[in-house]
Amino acid sequence: MIIPVYNEEACLASVLNDVKNSNLNTDVLVVNDGSTDNTSEIAKQAGVKVLDIPFNMGYGLAIQTGFRFATEYGYDFVITMDGDGQHDPSFAKNLIEAMHREEADVVIGSRFLERTYKMGIARRIGVWLFSKIARFYTGMKFTDPTSGFQLLKRRVFLYLSKGDNYPLDYPDVNIIMALYKMRFKVIEAPVRMFEKSKGKSMHSGLGPLIYIVRMFLAIIMVFLRKEE
Amino acid sequence: MALSVRIFIFMLGIVLFIMIFELVRKKKFREELSIVWLIIGVALIFSSFADRVIDPLAHKLGFGYPPALVFVIISFLLVLALLYFSIVVSDLKGKNKELSQKIALMEYKLSKLYQEKE
Repeated sequence: MIIPVYNEEACLASVLNDVKNSNLNTDVLVVNDGSTDNTSEIAKQAGVKVLDIPFNMGYGLAIQTGFRFATEYGYDFVITMDGDGQHDPSFAKNLIEAMHREEADVVIGSRFLERTYKMGIARRIGVWLFSKIARFYTGMKFTDPTSGFQLLKRRVFLYLSKGDNYPLDYPDVNIIMALYKMRFKVIEAPVRMFEKSKGKSMHSGLGPLIYIVRMFLAIIMVFLRKEE
Repeated sequence: MALSVRIFIFMLGIVLFIMIFELVRKKKFREELSIVWLIIGVALIFSSFADRVIDPLAHKLGFGYPPALVFVIISFLLVLALLYFSIVVSDLKGKNKELSQKIALMEYKLSKLYQEKE
């Protein structure tokens, strides 16, 4: 299980405790994305594996570093989960079940399949728009493409761990579309998410307009780039 | 172009050129990156002599005031220079990414090795 964190000293201990109590029987890797607080120490005290990225480079890079770790140490599956306490690790079982049932390569935990979740109107429009585009391209409905709660098979994270196959900042429908293009089977499964209690989440700060323009560019690039 | 305008553009070009030349000499500016700016400086210097080309061309293109054409050309060169530096930054960011990931993974290995030793 990969947990990317940036200055999460307030939440991390309880998150790691939840993971421990969820009986998942998995190794836990905390990828510390250049935190300036005690995040790394807290993770090390909890006895999990810790990777320290020397400076803050972004959510996507932290995840990809985790993928590289998993590739190098021969893991067959990877679960990614946010370190700010918004994901409930006990729902990882849903993802695993869904993967077995549907023989999928990637399972994305969706908060919208289970119950509604509050977010800004501009962001909501963006999410709606890009899920339509993804639906048009893949023929499948993705209700929560930005979800950081995912389960991936080795051949998928092996692909994503290479070069620029994974973005520096936030993966979105563009990655789902790129995976579809690579003929991986991507599905969604319901999970419960908590609203972020404290601190700034990794999913905030980016202006919605810039987000929409950037995503359009990313999606166009998925269409234009040749398959490797 | 009026002589005063030509002298002014010429002086600007010279100042820019000398400034960049000095920065490179003092090793505060990498040679390969300075080339773009040196080209702009040289372009400024030459444009002050190039009224035989600039004046007729400006009239043909409909510029009422020939030096305006000089500044349009210089502006375009500046945009190219900025684009060049954006590409350099982009490339550096990619390398930075690789480095930071390698450091994180190697640090982990190193700490494991130390632990095993102890």
